[in-house]
Amino acid sequence: MNLTRRNFLTWAGISAVGAVSCKIPFPEGELQIQSPVRLPEDLVKGQDNWYATLCRQCPAAEGVLVRVMEGRAKKVQGNPNYPVNLGKQSARCDAGLQALYHPHRLAGPMSRSGPKGAGQYQPVAWDQALNTLGSQLSDRGQGLVLITEPLRAHLGLIVSRFATAFGGRHLGFQTLDDTTYRGAAKSVFGQDVLPGFDIAHANYLISFGADFLSTWGSPTHFSRAYGEFRHGAGRTRRGTHVHVEPRFSMTAANADRWLPIAPGWEGHLALSLAYVIIAEGLQAPGVDVAGLTGGRGAASLEAFRPETVAPRIGLPEGLLVLPGKDAAEFIRQLARDFAANRPSLAIGGDSAGAHSNGQFNLEAIYALNYLVGSVGAPGGVVFNPASPLPDLPAAAKVGSLADWAGVAEDIRGGRSKLLLVHQADPVHGLPPSVGFREALGREDLFTVSFSSFMDETTALADLILPDRVYLEDWGSDIPEPGPGYYTLGFQQPVVNPLSDYDPRSFADLLLAAAQEQGKSANLPWPRLRDFLRESSDALFALNRGSIQAASADEFWTTLLRQGGWWDEKGTGPRPGAAPRDLLAGIAARAAAPSYFGAADGEFFLLPFAHNTLLDGQNAHLPWLQGAPDPITTITWQTWVEVNDHKVKELGLREGDVVRVESAAGVSILAPVYPNPALPPNVVGIPLGQGRRSGGEYAAGRAAPESANVLDLLEDRRVAVSGALAWAGARVRLTPTGQSIRISKFEGTSPAREIGLSPSEDIFKTVSSNGAAGGAR
Amino acid sequence: MATERIDHKWGMVIDLDRCTGCQACVVACQAENNVPMNTQDRFLQRRAYEWIRIERYWEGEFPNVKARFLPVLCQHCENAPCEPVCPVYATYHNEQGLNVQVYNRCVGTRYCINNCPYQVRFFNWWEPQWPATLRNQLNPDVTVRSRGIMEKCTFCIQRLRRGELTVERREGGRLDAQALRDRNFGPACVAACPTGALIFGDQLDPNSAISPYFADANEHPHEEDRTTRAYRLLEEMNTKPNVLYLKKVDQYPLKQGEQHG
Amino acid sequence: MQEGRALTPTEINRDLLRPILEQPKWFWPAVAVLALVVLAGVTVSGYMINRGLGVTGLNRPVAWAFMITNFVFWIGISHAGVMLSAILRLAKAEWRRPATRAAEVLTIFALSTALTMPIMHTGRPWRAIYWLFPYDFARGVWPSVRSPLVWDPSAIMTYLTSSTLFVLIALVPDIAVLRDHTTGVAHRIYSLLSLGWQGNARQWKFQVVAGVLLSALILPVFVSVHSIVSWDFGMSVTVKAWHSTTFAPYFVIGAVHSGVSAVVFVMIILRQIYGWQDYIRKEHIDALGRLLIVVATAWFYFLCMEIIFGMYGREADEVAMREMQFLQYPWNVLMIIFAGITYFLPVTLWLPRSFRRNLWIMSLACISVNVGMWLERYLIIVPGLARKQVFTFTWQTYMPSWVEFTLVISTFGLVSLLLLLFSRVFPLIPLYDIKEGEFLRTSVQVGRRTVPATFRED
Ligand SMILES: Nc1nc2c(c(=O)[nH]1)N[C@H]1C(S)=C(S)[C@@H](COP(=O)(O)OP(=O)(O)OC[C@H]3O[C@@H](n4cnc5c(=O)[nH]c(N)nc54)[C@H](O)[C@@H]3O)O[C@H]1N2
Ligand SMILES: Nc1nc2c(c(=O)[nH]1)N[C@H]1C(S)=C(S)[C@@H](COP(=O)(O)OP(=O)(O)OC[C@H]3O[C@@H](n4cnc5c(=O)[nH]c(N)nc54)[C@H](O)[C@@H]3O)O[C@H]1N2
Ligand code: SF4
Ligand code: SF4
Ligand code: SF4
Ligand code: SF4
Ligand code: SF4
Ligand SMILES: [Mo]
Repeated sequence: MNLTRRNFLTWAGISAVGAVSCKIPFPEGELQIQSPVRLPEDLVKGQDNWYATLCRQCPAAEGVLVRVMEGRAKKVQGNPNYPVNLGKQSARCDAGLQALYHPHRLAGPMSRSGPKGAGQYQPVAWDQALNTLGSQLSDRGQGLVLITEPLRAHLGLIVSRFATAFGGRHLGFQTLDDTTYRGAAKSVFGQDVLPGFDIAHANYLISFGADFLSTWGSPTHFSRAYGEFRHGAGRTRRGTHVHVEPRFSMTAANADRWLPIAPGWEGHLALSLAYVIIAEGLQAPGVDVAGLTGGRGAASLEAFRPETVAPRIGLPEGLLVLPGKDAAEFIRQLARDFAANRPSLAIGGDSAGAHSNGQFNLEAIYALNYLVGSVGAPGGVVFNPASPLPDLPAAAKVGSLADWAGVAEDIRGGRSKLLLVHQADPVHGLPPSVGFREALGREDLFTVSFSSFMDETTALADLILPDRVYLEDWGSDIPEPGPGYYTLGFQQPVVNPLSDYDPRSFADLLLAAAQEQGKSANLPWPRLRDFLRESSDALFALNRGSIQAASADEFWTTLLRQGGWWDEKGTGPRPGAAPRDLLAGIAARAAAPSYFGAADGEFFLLPFAHNTLLDGQNAHLPWLQGAPDPITTITWQTWVEVNDHKVKELGLREGDVVRVESAAGVSILAPVYPNPALPPNVVGIPLGQGRRSGGEYAAGRAAPESANVLDLLEDRRVAVSGALAWAGARVRLTPTGQSIRISKFEGTSPAREIGLSPSEDIFKTVSSNGAAGGAR
Repeated sequence: MATERIDHKWGMVIDLDRCTGCQACVVACQAENNVPMNTQDRFLQRRAYEWIRIERYWEGEFPNVKARFLPVLCQHCENAPCEPVCPVYATYHNEQGLNVQVYNRCVGTRYCINNCPYQVRFFNWWEPQWPATLRNQLNPDVTVRSRGIMEKCTFCIQRLRRGELTVERREGGRLDAQALRDRNFGPACVAACPTGALIFGDQLDPNSAISPYFADANEHPHEEDRTTRAYRLLEEMNTKPNVLYLKKVDQYPLKQGEQHG
Repeated sequence: MQEGRALTPTEINRDLLRPILEQPKWFWPAVAVLALVVLAGVTVSGYMINRGLGVTGLNRPVAWAFMITNFVFWIGISHAGVMLSAILRLAKAEWRRPATRAAEVLTIFALSTALTMPIMHTGRPWRAIYWLFPYDFARGVWPSVRSPLVWDPSAIMTYLTSSTLFVLIALVPDIAVLRDHTTGVAHRIYSLLSLGWQGNARQWKFQVVAGVLLSALILPVFVSVHSIVSWDFGMSVTVKAWHSTTFAPYFVIGAVHSGVSAVVFVMIILRQIYGWQDYIRKEHIDALGRLLIVVATAWFYFLCMEIIFGMYGREADEVAMREMQFLQYPWNVLMIIFAGITYFLPVTLWLPRSFRRNLWIMSLACISVNVGMWLERYLIIVPGLARKQVFTFTWQTYMPSWVEFTLVISTFGLVSLLLLLFSRVFPLIPLYDIKEGEFLRTSVQVGRRTVPATFRED
């Protein structure tokens, strides 16, 4: 065809039309030739920098390194130098990056424009917002309540001094608060700072309730030690771990033996072990049994003979497959193993301490360590020194349920008119019966939230002054539990906030406010950074520890490069002898757990902190929502796990929605997950979901996909400590007929052995104990 | 590039007696490698991405029940079934023992995913989406895979490359165990793993922690002859993985009843 | 032996060219309907490319399913043509004559349709270019000849080329007839296509020789194509259900099974819509029916062997996969339906002579075979992937999405449309072949009876 102008135009027209009409949007760059031979990773460009700082994704606040490229944080990784985690990390750490670049981050200050709780806010300028804060402080600062996450070191000091300066008080909020544990540690070891545990060098570990490999205490610290405990370099034998808990937690799953005990009876088992050890004279050499038992020896624990205890603690029959051995004999054997395989260690926490008799349970458990000589010894309980610098708090001040009820009461009674909240969500985290939501809804209360994200408490605030995310901010920490020697971690900003965000540092706001209100007598520093620098110089003056520097400046830069200062020689206090009559005293305080909730309830309800979402503080981070629960592999959802045979009995299937009811009208909806490892009379429900505000990731799913298990709990307290007795509820399950799909990672058929050859084809074991267990 | 390289043969050892199923490795990998976000839909569609995943197996019944945690990632098979079936050489074996994936090449036939016995390859069914702000976190060293492309664990090749460029090309040193660990040139999952269940190293480096295990496994083709707990997944398939597993020590085995230790 | 009345060449021309020379009134409506179905397929493909394969029901580990099943199915259908023409031509089976053209044309259309499936099924069809044709010399990039996915296209292309030639050669004389019966544009086109055919002895000689030669040459191709397609699965060490040495013959015979049934069905349709009772006679259907009994039984033997071999090793995952195939809903139901409609029902229907000569029953049997053979591939592909290896943790199931359904249905529309259009421009029954048959037809005295018979003087 010869190309005339006419048919040129025709063809041009046709092809143009064609191009437009059959345009298929390929991914970017698809239509240009790309190198089909070069591996993209061959083109690594640019220089990256790693900055040391502290992680704030969970209360353990460990040392991390952050990879920064072209002004953007790219990766979080454990700080190899930091004593607590020695370069390791948990599943939660990396998600700090998503907090940093979160689409739902509160961009700047906002003031309430609608009725309380309606979530209507209008942006305001910072100076206007600060004026409001100032006037509120001067008008109603008297008796203010300052609620934060559990805080230590510099920020801990600033907030408590700030609160006192205004005649108010500061409380650290923890949903599953550790006040009972603190109380037990105090009465058993006489320590204000939480003790640490030398799991790495223990040979025999009995843990009661504490899910220490997942969320309890300092999980990464413990997990690292646990790896050593199993196959540490230079170990002669592999450690043995027995876990006592009514629910099959991640820690239970890793123990060599799991004892599903009846909820709340942990203390009785512990004292029964003590009885056997004393009766059979198995205690470690030099242990003053007489001193522990008021001179009465085993007699003081007569009430805890295995024969007496065994029938009460509800160890399932099937568990004891040893011919000719019964539960009592089993307990004796356990005691013998515990005493024989020193160094041995007993730790307890979580549900073991969350009953009416929780403090008794924990005291009984920790007292065991005296009998095997593990207090203050390698492979046992180690004590942490207080702060290396005067008046820096080394222990977090955590409020118990009693405290929160008090706060609510003060608000209702008009004694507290100003509430300042930072990175804490008590409205989500307290049982409704405490009435915190109503209290914060009162018109005569002015609430200022310093949260970087919307949460249930912030949604009730009158003024929101978004804080910097920790990767943008200064800070510090004295780890608790620590490594057993002086440690002061430093947190530095590794990046600047994106231009879309305009946050301000919480600490700096408090310092400025104190200045302005003329209450800065004890808070002389213009900014937190100045305070940190001052401490740095103080540490330099100490002239010991991990940093050798010629000048204070050099010390400061090294300090920041290392992520902190520590002095391995500066170990904690040598423990004194055990308190007199410790065991006898504990035995005298013994009590059976008292349950509450549905009297006719067939099941014990065991709530538990979610492996990545914890109590819900991480619920807005997609990586952590999408990280499968270790046991059920469920993501993005609440579930109620029930023994698989029980599920069949109830005529239910996975995903069937049930109403979990703890009292008339007190109930939540949740889908069932059949769990082969749960006792038939126990149901487990994770915390973390059920957020009522906080954007699509945290609050985008309604019941039954997402529910808050705390709604089922009542204001029941642990004797003495006054903490929430969150493990003592009984519940009823009633099918609703509704059913949803469980968004889990595991496949659609049961992950078990198949056909003629078991799944041991891929998961292989060597059956052996101690000695050969040390095998490489 | 290849010609200048110091020889390495990367390998990993996974100690099943250390792994606690904590998921730290999973999240670390997603953060390092621009793995598409696992939204709830992805799980409901059964298309979630986990370059390293923790398989949880059940053994026994309550009360004598055990959960088994098995971390599975690309085994970087010497004899990789996924490689010969790829019609376009998008997945091939490099000289360092890595099974590498050239995203540009992949046409998305998904033959490799069928032929990978370990189920570790992931296909991009959708165009990956991130909220604009979250894109700031994406790792510039790692290609963001568009839809229609296969992806999988790379042993964090970008980190190894960075290590080679820095330690070997620039400083004239050697990318050894110490450099991998202390300077973040080793895989992200290994760095994260709190219990030390994941060990990474160079099989050609006698000092690396993995070498004894690989030596043992290579010397003794039959598991029962081995002096260590080392074994390979589906060893009978002869895919010759560069990942070794160390058997779980079962102190109270369910099989032959209970006996006290 | 031959039945029915003798036909004169004029009659033959008149009858067989009728659909071309005068257009049936239902033609355009039919085309419109089929075109709509095809259009639906095209639209859905566009949607799929645009959004990504997420719109299908595919997941991990079931990364192949509906489209690949459909691909294998159409490859199977395509085996009818050569099977009939080539083998029967070489075997000088008289009754093949009316069937050959339809069969060969079906081959070509089924092949081209099959080809679209794997390409649509890739994640980036617009990149398939350097997989199918190694264009990238400059950077030394070639397809991997180790991959069955490279053997596949080459085998199919070869088969497509040779069977197209095969059809063309047989068409030339008939096109010439058309040329002589048409005027105007049509006449000019046909003259062009008839390659100056005069029908002189020399041309006939070449035409016949070429036909016979191609028949002989194409047979190995026909065997190899489906063998290679079967190796897409057989070569996969990982998928227990696929990794089988018997796959090649099993797939080939299965292909013939479904292919011939499809041809029979097409012939019955043609006979009815074009009123070719005198050409496609019941005896032909009958003969094909008998052939089908043999083919079906051979195929059934392989089916049983495949299962027995699979189970013999009693490997855990193989057993689990079979357990899924045979015992788990919905696979068990599909399995029963499959065995019934692919073997037991049709063979029972083919056994009695009277049934073989009943067009309704034959159509039913042939359709059921093809539905069944489609199911067969599905039941091999999906459970195989869903139960891959012993990683029970990752085992999933699969449910096709509406997108996949639409695509599959549209391929049936496409093949029918192509056949319909073809029948409007070329005779679907070879004129010269029929004439040859008539010409060779005489009556012979056997004892006291005269019976019609056909001789060849060669
Ligand atoms: N995060 C980040 N982004 C950057 C930069 C950075 O440092 N960091 N650097 C910026 C700078 S300075 C530059 S120059 C750009 C570079 O950005 P690009 O121009 O994208 O450079 P490449 O990605 O190296 O090459 C583009 C494509 O060309 C392909 N290619 C390779 N060889 C050939 C060939 O022979 N022919 C054809 N047709 N294609 C080939 C490559 O495979 C690649 O897919 O990136 C800019 N963007
Ligand atoms: N293998 C491979 N090598 C390549 C290429 C490739 O494609 N593949 N691309 C080549 C090309 S095209 C280019 S341009 C080069 C690019 O390579 P480089 O020249 O290294 O450029 P960048 O990668 O951007 O690294 C510059 C670094 O400077 C830092 N930086 C950023 N802003 C500033 C600033 O304001 N001041 C200072 N002092 N520093 C700053 C950033 O941290 C960044 O890492 O790489 C070349 N090298
Ligand atoms: S364990 Fe908690 S504190 Fe430690 S790094 Fe992970 S998230 Fe941060
Ligand atoms: S594990 Fe799978 S993907 Fe990795 S090399 Fe082996 S076969 Fe290939
Ligand atoms: S999906 Fe990509 S890598 Fe896998 S075989 Fe197909 S082209 Fe190769
Ligand atoms: S080696 Fe790297 S890519 Fe592979 S799983 Fe670990 S982190 Fe992911
Ligand atoms: S990080 Fe380590 S311990 Fe945790 S799941 Fe992964 S491999 Fe197991
Ligand atoms: Mo550049």
